[in-house]
Amino acid sequence: MTFHLGYGTNGFANHRLDDALAVIADLGYTAVALTLDHHHLDPFADDVVKQTERVAARLQELGLRVVVETGARYLLDPCRKHHPTLVSEGQAVRVDFLVRAKQIALDLGADCVSFWSGVGSADAWDHLKSGVAAVLESGPSVPIGLEPEPGMVVERLDQALRLRTELGNPDLLRITLDVGHCVAVEPQDAAACIRQAGELLVNVQLDDMLPDVHEHLEFGEGQLDLPATLAALTGIGYTGVAAVELPRHSHAAPDVAARALRALRAAEWLADAERAVRADPGVIDTLFPAAGRAVGAGQDAARVRLLTAFADVSDDPVDGFTRLYRYGTSAERRGVLRGLAEMGDRAPAAGIALVEDALRSNETGLVAAALGPFATRHLGRHAWRHGVLKCLFMGIPLAVVDGLDRHSDAELLRMVAAFADERRAAGRPVPADALALLGKAS
Amino acid sequence: MRIFDPHIHMTSRTTDDYEAMRDAGVRALVEPAFWLGQPRTNVGSFVDYFDSLLGWERFRAAQFGIAHHCALALNPKEANDPRCAEVLDVLPRYLAKDGVVAVGEVGYDSMTPEEDDAFARQLELALRYDLPVLVHTPHRDKQEGTKRTLDVVRESGLAPHRVLVDHLNETTVAMVADAGCWMGFSVYPDTKMDEARMVALLAEYGTERMLVNSAADWGRSDPLKTRKTGLAMLDAGFAESEVDSVLWRNPVEFYGQSGRLALEPVAAGAVDVATGSSVLRGER
Repeated sequence: MTFHLGYGTNGFANHRLDDALAVIADLGYTAVALTLDHHHLDPFADDVVKQTERVAARLQELGLRVVVETGARYLLDPCRKHHPTLVSEGQAVRVDFLVRAKQIALDLGADCVSFWSGVGSADAWDHLKSGVAAVLESGPSVPIGLEPEPGMVVERLDQALRLRTELGNPDLLRITLDVGHCVAVEPQDAAACIRQAGELLVNVQLDDMLPDVHEHLEFGEGQLDLPATLAALTGIGYTGVAAVELPRHSHAAPDVAARALRALRAAEWLADAERAVRADPGVIDTLFPAAGRAVGAGQDAARVRLLTAFADVSDDPVDGFTRLYRYGTSAERRGVLRGLAEMGDRAPAAGIALVEDALRSNETGLVAAALGPFATRHLGRHAWRHGVLKCLFMGIPLAVVDGLDRHSDAELLRMVAAFADERRAAGRPVPADALALLGKAS
Repeated sequence: MRIFDPHIHMTSRTTDDYEAMRDAGVRALVEPAFWLGQPRTNVGSFVDYFDSLLGWERFRAAQFGIAHHCALALNPKEANDPRCAEVLDVLPRYLAKDGVVAVGEVGYDSMTPEEDDAFARQLELALRYDLPVLVHTPHRDKQEGTKRTLDVVRESGLAPHRVLVDHLNETTVAMVADAGCWMGFSVYPDTKMDEARMVALLAEYGTERMLVNSAADWGRSDPLKTRKTGLAMLDAGFAESEVDSVLWRNPVEFYGQSGRLALEPVAAGAVDVATGSSVLRGER
């Protein structure tokens, strides 16, 4: 990885700044996105120069690289959130604040000052341009990163780039990209946005998000492809700060920050592993087993991604899958079985052999993974029915069986009914899933 | 009393044993690969065995709330059979697996040139895969075998704290203590060590780098010998924290060097839909 993983202090709003920096560094982050706020290095404090000097020393002690963020909610106006902006009346107040932020960034040794446009109508465009020009002209020579923000005049990357072009491509005007925003409002994914921004990228914010919903989520809760996003940053040779942006998670900041770093490290490992497999498919023999300890809970999905990369470049993916299964632990075999859903159709006979092997085992995890979409499409009806019945025997919820409702037939129901009778005859309870299946049919 | 049995062959034990172990406080164990009583005749037999230690046996242990890990190797006795020795070519693939926390059991049985070769090659693998090593010391000619073991370890370049030398007794413990390796003791019903002698050695040598195991297998053995030794320690005036060192913290520290120990208690109850992991009894 060429860049520095950080965490935003706006996600530590209930901490003293010094404490927040210490927690962030102790967790293992090597950078911080510092949001100037009334309680975190107030740019309007009388002793701001002295405070800045002290924070700079602290950052150096902790080994934290820094970017300056300017999204504080009530710093300029105690009644109106984010007011005034570069597109509202009172623009000069915002410009003055951003110029102060540039001076602080210089004194901290920060990479840049990050800023957004503000909420307004499209005809505020020229007003915005003059505001950005004013920020560029005043104060020290510090790069400023314009961040597209959903709902604001500049909400997409192409608008930010157009604004820059119209200002004559000033060297110090760069781009800040929030990868969650890309999921929410961009026509392309975050990795494509990163490649489009390219060398103009001066600051990155990391978080998950759902399409059309501007809500910052922890990794895994939205639709961001985190490994592909980190791979894109490496791909363009990005060397700056990429900091987690979860401003509404301050109530549990240390835990959230720890989880985020685990997710980032897992995604980083996976991105590297995918790249390595594409370069040399043979390395999957060692990376496939290692995915468990590197990725943890998401290991099944991670292994499927490795298999996808492998299938794209290998001369004989079927043989590879069979070998990985043959020499795999239970978790690795589960990964291969899950991969069949997407790649098994290329060689159904080989896939069926693996599914049948798994169904012969008495491990719940293998039996469950065997009954995915591939089995629905290719496994013989007799074997599939016995797989479903085996789930009932082993206490595996039938929710794991792909396409159960569509593919239940009279013979399966007969078998389940006989199973239920046998349970009753022995005085044992009939699993709720069995009753539900029989109930739907009656 | 929480117990980590650092050496036990669960493949040979029943579910009654698992239940009794759980009741006795066993929460984690390491099952090293060894011979099965009946000699193997081909590499495939090893491969199925390794698969079992990484798959089925782990699953079985989890049903009783016990975290199962293993050590993998070609054992010294079967290193002498050319039909089996080729397993060393397959071993590297397995040493990369989750759940493998050491190379073992390696060492000597009859101290043949074949055993020398297998031992040295597997110490190299331990270095390459960054794993600690569990060394079996021979039943016959134990003192000479232990001495030679320590020489081979020294020549291998492995740090002594990465090596656990097992099945020690009054005549072999001192040289292992001096070498800086971890010291393992198998407490058995009527061979190897017993509880009283074990307590006496702990009184003499202290609890640092000392591990106690049941080494229970297919022979006459007792999977609860770890707990019985802990109780004997308490009777002899050892503090609970000293018992915890020997029966839990020491094995955790030794095998923890692999970076692959997973000691979280297994969630009890239903099957997880995503992974299908379960503590149910299989067929009910």
